[in-house]
Amino acid sequence: MNEATLQRLFGWQHAFDHPAVLWLVGGVFLVLVLATGLVAGLSASGRIGASTRLELHQRIKSWWILAPLMIGPVLLGAASTFAAVLLLSLGCYREFARATGLFREHLISALVVLGILATTFAVVDHWYELFMAALPLGVVTIAGIAVITDAPKGYVQRTALGVFAFAFFGNGIGHLGYFANDVDYRPIVLFVLIAVELNDVFAYVCGRLFGRRKLLPHISPNKTWAGAIGAVVLTSAFVALVGPHVLAGRPCAEGSRLLLLGLLIAIAGQLGDLVLSAIKRDVGIKDFAATIPGHGGLLDRFDSLVLVAPAVFHLIGYEHGIGLSSVPRLLTGG
Amino acid sequence: MEPWRLRPARDHGMSLEQRMASTRREPGLIEAIGQRIAGSALSCLLRVWHRLQIEGREHLPATPPFILVANHTSHLDALALTTALPWRVRQSTYLLAASDVFFETPTRSLLASVLLNALPMRRQRQVRHAIEDLRTRLVEDAFGLVMFPEGTRSATGAMQAFKPGLGMLVAGTAVPVVPCHLEGAFAAWPRQARLPRPRPVVLRIGAPLRFDNASDDRDGWATVVRTAEAAVLGLTARSRS
Repeated sequence: MNEATLQRLFGWQHAFDHPAVLWLVGGVFLVLVLATGLVAGLSASGRIGASTRLELHQRIKSWWILAPLMIGPVLLGAASTFAAVLLLSLGCYREFARATGLFREHLISALVVLGILATTFAVVDHWYELFMAALPLGVVTIAGIAVITDAPKGYVQRTALGVFAFAFFGNGIGHLGYFANDVDYRPIVLFVLIAVELNDVFAYVCGRLFGRRKLLPHISPNKTWAGAIGAVVLTSAFVALVGPHVLAGRPCAEGSRLLLLGLLIAIAGQLGDLVLSAIKRDVGIKDFAATIPGHGGLLDRFDSLVLVAPAVFHLIGYEHGIGLSSVPRLLTGG
Repeated sequence: MEPWRLRPARDHGMSLEQRMASTRREPGLIEAIGQRIAGSALSCLLRVWHRLQIEGREHLPATPPFILVANHTSHLDALALTTALPWRVRQSTYLLAASDVFFETPTRSLLASVLLNALPMRRQRQVRHAIEDLRTRLVEDAFGLVMFPEGTRSATGAMQAFKPGLGMLVAGTAVPVVPCHLEGAFAAWPRQARLPRPRPVVLRIGAPLRFDNASDDRDGWATVVRTAEAAVLGLTARSRS
């Protein structure tokens, strides 16, 4: 393993080498301080009701814990980023399985977990072909091995849920980890995470301020057209303004391409949110879990990321390539 | 086998601590792996250290729901009963354990839940509510349950009277009750001993009893308890004759 690889994996002292990283982390801190002040101000003025106040307080408090947990591993190095993404994948799968009942199918559950581990192996190894092959191979493995229990009743549901879970939480979220194979992964990963979360906040705020017409009332009764459009406009603006600094030197750092990136994050983010909401409505639950006070489960918080991660990965990958200058097949040596 | 249903875990939305203290807890992959490892090790121990013999295996229901009941003299009892079950059935079988012993501390709760698939049962307070909850689950979720209707381990080795809880669980349901009798477990690991001694243990399994027609009231519960108690005692008599 050469020095550059070691530094990429464990070189925490390079956390702020890229100037955009400091700005992004500082920006998050500033936004949290401002939001805390705003909520405190609104509470003191008595302009918000008791329940809204409690909800906002809980949300802000959780963000103070969540933000370091999301940013910390990215800053520390690629190794901790891989580990954090693996934990996120497993955590999201667990919540999905317990919500849909798939957790009762131990064989399928074990196969999905193995698939997530195999995907992580491909990510850590920087073995792009295996990473891409993991999804089709995972489908074949889950569908094939599921027959051995000789239980045809419910085969389609079990297998379909397993494949769906692996595609979303193993492969989809896994793309976020693969970014860390790029030498300059820190600004990109932080940028995507921040844009996705801001997109949620923009949708919430625009919806509260201007929302009247419901977007998809059966899936998510609180979402409005104003929220959705406001988020698309503001997220695109954020990406267009901050993007040139984060992606400086890459071909995708210019106007129209950044606009495309912003649109992709805004639309895929909201679709991810709606997809997971549809699942919750279908199953008949309000939240996926009670892991994060004020937010619900991991899947309630990171729902947008599930679709954004692969979409953004392939857009940036198509324009520029990801990890091209890093040594491939670290562990297998290809 | 029952068709697949899209339904969340019974303990959905509970924190880890709440799950451990609840009879609604449903095990997942981690627990299944823990139980497989613990189950293999313990069944090995029972076969080697206690030369466990199992008679009447043919009486065990092929699929849940069912309740295994037995006399209770030792901590080996539950392990011997679960060992008798094939893995497919065992992984959907819970052990009803006293919450004041097995769920006293967070570590014990975690071990009891993950390794033994135990569900907590209070011995005094709120028993009625917990049993009603469990009765609903037993019928709807169709799982196996291992329980000791005496409520606690016998101090002398002699069987004590059964408590009405068993009746409240099954009276008027189609859930079969399988009477079992354990011999030698008291000599192997009595209440006073810290560790089990290498004495032989014999498990006898009797024919399942059904209480579909028993009424779900005090009379019905008493009938269930009397019948089950007699059936377990009957297995003792058979072993002595």
